Amino acid sequence: MGNFFPRWTNWLPLKLAIAVVFIVIGISAGFAYYFTPKYTRVGYQPTQPVPFSHKIHAGQLGMDCRFCHSFAETSSHSNVPTNQVCFNCHGAGKGQIKLNSPHLEPVRKAAETGEPIHWVKIHKAPDFVYFNHSAHLNRGISCVSCHGKVNEMEVVFHHESQSMGWCLDCHRNPEEKLRPLSEITNLNWKPADVNREVFYKGLLDGLKKEGANEADALRDIAQTIPQAPKEAAPVSLTDLVALAKTKVGDSVTQQEVGLQLKKHWLVQPPDTCTGCHR
Amino acid sequence: MKRIWQHPEEPKTGRRYWRSVGELEQRESFLKNLGREFPNGDELTEEERESSRRNFLKLMGASVGMMGLASCRRPIANILPYTKNVEWIVPGKPLMYATTMPRPYGATPLVVTTYEGRPTHLSGNPLNPSTPSGGLDSFAQASILDLYDPERSQKVLSNGKVAEWGAVEGVIGALAKGGGEGLAILVGAEISPTTRRLRAEVLKALPKAKLFQYEAINNDTQAAANKAIFGAGTRPVVKLDQAMAILSLDCDFLCLDSVSPDGQAKFISNRNADKPSEADKMNRLYAIENRYTLTGSMADHRKPLAASLLPVAAAALAVEIGKLGGNAALGAAAAALAATADAALLEWIKPAAADLFANKGKAVVLAGSRTPAAVQALAAAINDALGAFGPVIDLLKGEDNTAGSIADLAAGINSGAVRTLLSFTCADPVFDAPTSLDFAKVVADKKVTVIHHGTRFNATAKIAALHIPATHYLEVWGDALTADGVYSIVQPMIQPLYNGVSENEIYLALLGKKKFVVAKPAADAKPASAPAGPVEDPGYEAVRETFATVAGGLDETKWNFTLRDGFLKGTQAAAGGGFNAGAVASLVSAGKVPVAPTEQALEVVLVPDNSLWDGRYINNGWLQEAPDPVTKLTWDNAALIGSVTYRKLGLKAQKEGLAPKVEITIGDKKLVLPALEAPGHVTNSITIQLGYGQTVTGFIGKGTGFNGYKLLTNPGEFVLTGATIKATGDDYQLAITQEHDTMEGRALYREGTKEDEENFAQVTGIDSHIPQSVSLYGGQFGPKSEENPQGFDFERRHQWGMSIDLSKCLGCTSCLIACQSENNIPIVGKDQVQKGRIMHWIRMDRYFATPEKDDVDIDPKLEDLENAEMVTQPVACQQCESAPCETVCPVNATVHTEEGLNAMAYNRCIGTRYCANNCPYTARRFNWFDYNKRPLDELYWGPLSTPEKTGLKESMKLQKNPNVTVRMRGVIEKCTYCVQRLESAKIQQMQVQRDSKNFRIPTDSVKSACQQACPTGAIEFGDIADKNSAVFKIKGDGTKENPGSLRNYELLKYINTRPRTSYLARIRNVNPAMPGAKGIAAWSKENS
Repeated sequence: MGNFFPRWTNWLPLKLAIAVVFIVIGISAGFAYYFTPKYTRVGYQPTQPVPFSHKIHAGQLGMDCRFCHSFAETSSHSNVPTNQVCFNCHGAGKGQIKLNSPHLEPVRKAAETGEPIHWVKIHKAPDFVYFNHSAHLNRGISCVSCHGKVNEMEVVFHHESQSMGWCLDCHRNPEEKLRPLSEITNLNWKPADVNREVFYKGLLDGLKKEGANEADALRDIAQTIPQAPKEAAPVSLTDLVALAKTKVGDSVTQQEVGLQLKKHWLVQPPDTCTGCHR
Repeated sequence: MKRIWQHPEEPKTGRRYWRSVGELEQRESFLKNLGREFPNGDELTEEERESSRRNFLKLMGASVGMMGLASCRRPIANILPYTKNVEWIVPGKPLMYATTMPRPYGATPLVVTTYEGRPTHLSGNPLNPSTPSGGLDSFAQASILDLYDPERSQKVLSNGKVAEWGAVEGVIGALAKGGGEGLAILVGAEISPTTRRLRAEVLKALPKAKLFQYEAINNDTQAAANKAIFGAGTRPVVKLDQAMAILSLDCDFLCLDSVSPDGQAKFISNRNADKPSEADKMNRLYAIENRYTLTGSMADHRKPLAASLLPVAAAALAVEIGKLGGNAALGAAAAALAATADAALLEWIKPAAADLFANKGKAVVLAGSRTPAAVQALAAAINDALGAFGPVIDLLKGEDNTAGSIADLAAGINSGAVRTLLSFTCADPVFDAPTSLDFAKVVADKKVTVIHHGTRFNATAKIAALHIPATHYLEVWGDALTADGVYSIVQPMIQPLYNGVSENEIYLALLGKKKFVVAKPAADAKPASAPAGPVEDPGYEAVRETFATVAGGLDETKWNFTLRDGFLKGTQAAAGGGFNAGAVASLVSAGKVPVAPTEQALEVVLVPDNSLWDGRYINNGWLQEAPDPVTKLTWDNAALIGSVTYRKLGLKAQKEGLAPKVEITIGDKKLVLPALEAPGHVTNSITIQLGYGQTVTGFIGKGTGFNGYKLLTNPGEFVLTGATIKATGDDYQLAITQEHDTMEGRALYREGTKEDEENFAQVTGIDSHIPQSVSLYGGQFGPKSEENPQGFDFERRHQWGMSIDLSKCLGCTSCLIACQSENNIPIVGKDQVQKGRIMHWIRMDRYFATPEKDDVDIDPKLEDLENAEMVTQPVACQQCESAPCETVCPVNATVHTEEGLNAMAYNRCIGTRYCANNCPYTARRFNWFDYNKRPLDELYWGPLSTPEKTGLKESMKLQKNPNVTVRMRGVIEKCTYCVQRLESAKIQQMQVQRDSKNFRIPTDSVKSACQQACPTGAIEFGDIADKNSAVFKIKGDGTKENPGSLRNYELLKYINTRPRTSYLARIRNVNPAMPGAKGIAAWSKENS
């Protein structure tokens, strides 16, 4: 009986084992990249029935998000505007802007027939997720945190992954996104824009309004400043601002704003299931 | 692995609570399912096993093939905004409207929750002066399902064939011309001023037309007696909050036989069980009845008595009261009847009468609405002697009912005077009219043209020449009066889903003020761009016209307030009428001589059903599946027979677990139906619930129960005598939930009397003599502190808790339906219920109890079962702080939240059911099938179910609460304390407070659905971290300042699960002079 297996088969098991290792790594890596929301969702940019440009409206014209998405602060759902809202500017007898533009044909048709425009949904939470716009907007989370800089998008696309892990990242560390309520819809806002004195005065007034005396309030705020000493106890607003300047630097940082707001608004995002799943 | 709880042995002596006779006698069928989360759950028949194996293989192939296809493409979803802004609607936010549910003899005020124009949930309207408690009964709760019933009548039918609205126009036009010659209009007993006005106008325009009124469950006998006693049109309304001693003569005033709007809350308001020392704060209820009703179960003293003997009891009571008050006339009128009373009855009546008389001016006797005129008259006379008229009973002026009865109608048809019948009543005369009238045959023989208007295609609709689909009350304009005469508005929540029209609109058409063809666009037409404004609606105009007369002018401000509040202020009925003693004697003597039922001549009592009322709710799945509060029977009715009679007849099913079928014969009438042994039921008496056994009904109602109306011979005679019964030898499967979800046979109910130690609830039972076991589950305990760093954060979080007062709980199952409506809980069908797979998150446990015996043998005799006490206890997830379910979940689908909720993430659940297995309260439910998606008769077919029947019906989708996930097959679900309401309340608070630390919602501002629905306020829910909340005040925190209620106790406290739901022990106000008083609600001393 001769050699039944040729010589090259001696290495076959090892080769196979190496190949399997590579294939497994490849498949896992492929799944991890291509089958997660980061890849499947981000960049999704469907064509909309009306070529509405957020870049022009929200960017160039500087319209506030809430002009059209008017209930975002009061409802779970951020509404898409009705025709009537469009016609405030584009309608006959109203603003008369681009009155006969062919781009507006679907809007005019919807108004005539009552059949609504079929906008294509971009950001879609699964049925078992109960996201609430008002809960975020009223507590210092801006539109931009979840939707990206829509004011720079000609056609809106999915900017963030909006996966569960992404949600939880922020729910666990909200200070990375919190900003003053007045800047919620300011998509170009940077922490450096904040006037430190005004910011701390606002905080101080808020605490006083809730019944704290000035010294306690000042100490409370000072101790929340990043790297501030535990025993910090400024005696005046000027002291406080000076302390922040020495500890944080000339320009205000996100961490500085975020930590203060988190503490003094008692921001405690739910990180157990019932916050989003019911 | 399931933890085997080391329950300490229960004492062998003392009071025993049991759910079924099977448990009492420790039958094999009961013991084998003890401690299992799903009785029979894993027992497939050979056939099922075979089909499931084959299906499995088929499906595997199919699903693997389809898996690839389905995941290729991102599904495109659209956003469809409104084209025009809709007033008040904010997408995503609920909008509440006040409206009214018209019902026979008095409407129910409602608040409707709507989402983007679809009503999803009903609750009571606490603003309405008739119903300040804001509770709502289960019928009204479930009526929202009728709105969306895909089998609701949708098309005009001409002789059974689909016709156009033109046909209706033609027929109505012809009727309007004939001057009413030969026309009979048959209406229900709803009280609506507009309908009444339009009816009068129609009768004026068609002078020869005749009006008849018919309700299957009617109070015609009572109404006739009241007319004689109080004068025409007088309506007595009992102020139950003013009564300290109440005796019910078969009057189920706490459930099915209302004597006052919001009566349950008014009754409970005087049962201040927390201060048992203040005697005058707690009323006392006596009940005489043949079967258990919820009123009987609330009674402090209950006398089981054959319904035929009720006049004797009333007379004996009258004689006693007459004696006590020196009222010779009262005694004389009743003497003849009372002479036949036996010693046992007198022994019971005497002390009761003395107690009533001692409470003169604060006492009342209530006679059931279907009891004979003699009982009505005697009760009125006794009330007069007790000085009840004025202080306790209001006599209100109502409209005199001059319409003919169903008997008059039958006579009219027979004589040929009636040739066309226009039927509006919600009852179904062809199915439920008394058999002596032979209604269907008479109509057919005389070739009467029947025009039927209704929401259901029922037996009457089937014989009708023309059937007109009616609108649901949530779809139309209308108005209605509550039982005490508050003018309440009915406003549409939604455009008619199925193109129906209302009764008012038909009258308007008869008057030439409405056209159907113009108003109703064809079914396939595109929705109009501008929905017709209410101004063009003649139905709306008619209501406004009535409003103008009621309000004294059409004041727009007043009208808008009425729309907002749901009622017009200051419209209670005026007082009127008075007690006429002269009428009593003749009414008493005119009655039949009562004969006690015997074994050879049994009595049969026909009663309205807790689920179907008179049968009108037959196609309502929620009600069908809601277990009867007393028998725990679903999807069926049965002959309820007392233990003595049941055993004497030797009734026994051939197979364990089934019910024997019996044949009941009265004269030439026969009825075959299953029999059920009913503790607390009187001997020689049979009770049958009406409404079941309809042949013309939808998918839900088909094949449910047996038609008790077959035995109803004469109008108004709901108690029949001379019946015989025999076993047929057949068995029948009943789906009874009484033995489901038992908590290892532990009786968890605590009750006592006013005389008991105040803290008896905390020291009686097993809790008293064993130390709490150490928890294996290491969960969080109590408030966070330095000693307890793992505890819950009471400072910076809400901490939810619930308390259920068993002294207030009636057991009416309203909470259960409210929960079903709020939380999108599916129905599962009879077959699944019988397998223990019912999905209700709250189950209403019902226990019977037998008093303690002095001798060693504590097994009760059969006669004792007749006197068994009955108590009810709602049990849902207890939200244990140290929850056994959480530690066994392999995928963390059930975890604790920082607010003390035992949360359930459905999308994470993989269905191992370990949690359900480990729950000592058996509060978890498993979706064995896709109950929402699959037709109930094809559950086992899986994806092979008939495509047309598969999937949630479009109309049913509209009812679902958008804030609660609709669960699919293979996941566990359970009570969440209505977490969607909690979250939205918290978010609401954030919206208001914004940049503030004040996160705590206003005290007691959020209510769970069950709490909101409870008519007696038995359920308190709130933030136990908020010291001002009602639930904190009840529970306390163990400190001297906040001791909480002494009646507060936790279920299975000794296993140390630390539930957030606790119970308040029930207190009975026992009259020591009554026979058997010592045994009532009494715990053995050895037991404590």
